[in-house]
Amino acid sequence: MQINETLKEQMFALVGYMLTSACNLVNETKSYGPLRLIDAASRLITILSENNIASPSLEKIQVQIEQGKYKVMEDDSQFSAFLNDLVLYTVSLMEN
Amino acid sequence: MDVWAAIRNRRSIRKFTDDPVEDKVLKNLVLEAGIWAPSGGNAQAWRFLVITDPKILHKVKLVSPGLLGTFTSVIVICQDLAHALEKGGELGVKTLSLMDTAMAAQNIMLAAYAVGLGTCPIASFHSEAIQKITGLPAHIHPQLLISVGFPGKNPPAPRRRPDVIWFNSYADKRDPLCR
Repeated sequence: MQINETLKEQMFALVGYMLTSACNLVNETKSYGPLRLIDAASRLITILSENNIASPSLEKIQVQIEQGKYKVMEDDSQFSAFLNDLVLYTVSLMEN
Repeated sequence: MDVWAAIRNRRSIRKFTDDPVEDKVLKNLVLEAGIWAPSGGNAQAWRFLVITDPKILHKVKLVSPGLLGTFTSVIVICQDLAHALEKGGELGVKTLSLMDTAMAAQNIMLAAYAVGLGTCPIASFHSEAIQKITGLPAHIHPQLLISVGFPGKNPPAPRRRPDVIWFNSYADKRDPLCR
């Protein structure tokens, strides 16, 4: 499989984001851990989509992530409920 | 613009349009607002690095998890720690420099709001990586990033708690440590 240069650059940026997040999260707000994880998931889905290897289910999950991720700045309990709903939503999209 | 309106309505913007902000506007935010903030001991050890080059922005974003969404410019507020030490000693480096950065940042963000721009202050970044990417020497320490651009979406205001003020004597009945 031939991997194009754009995809390599996109993946490099994602890895950089994840590594820097790991380093910073040692001393950051606790709820930023889940935020960085779901944001990384969203970024990964974007990369997959831009390279024609995403799925409608993943794109639906991304919509949910983007709609709810900033609850982390507003209310801890709402953010926690959003994360729980996100998992249940993902389960509902699982193929039998 | 009325200062109360700017304080009340400024939001942290994480969704910008693709329109670039002119260099002269960014320069004004620093020179007509940022450096007019109070400075502990009048040290003025702040240094402002304005990044607009897309290639450098891309690298900065890579090591700054807090920089979410799209943006066309970033102001890096740094402190010259050697100067801060000379002017204010350990207090200058550990405390006053951070306060100066925060006060300059608020001036910049309010001024930006007043001219129709959106901003977001970011502390989630790797300072040494930023130094390496932008050529900042070790004693010029980046303390805060501010993304600047034309707002694409204004988020709602997070709830504020008004029950945080006392006059003359502190007595917080909700706080178990005060009972």
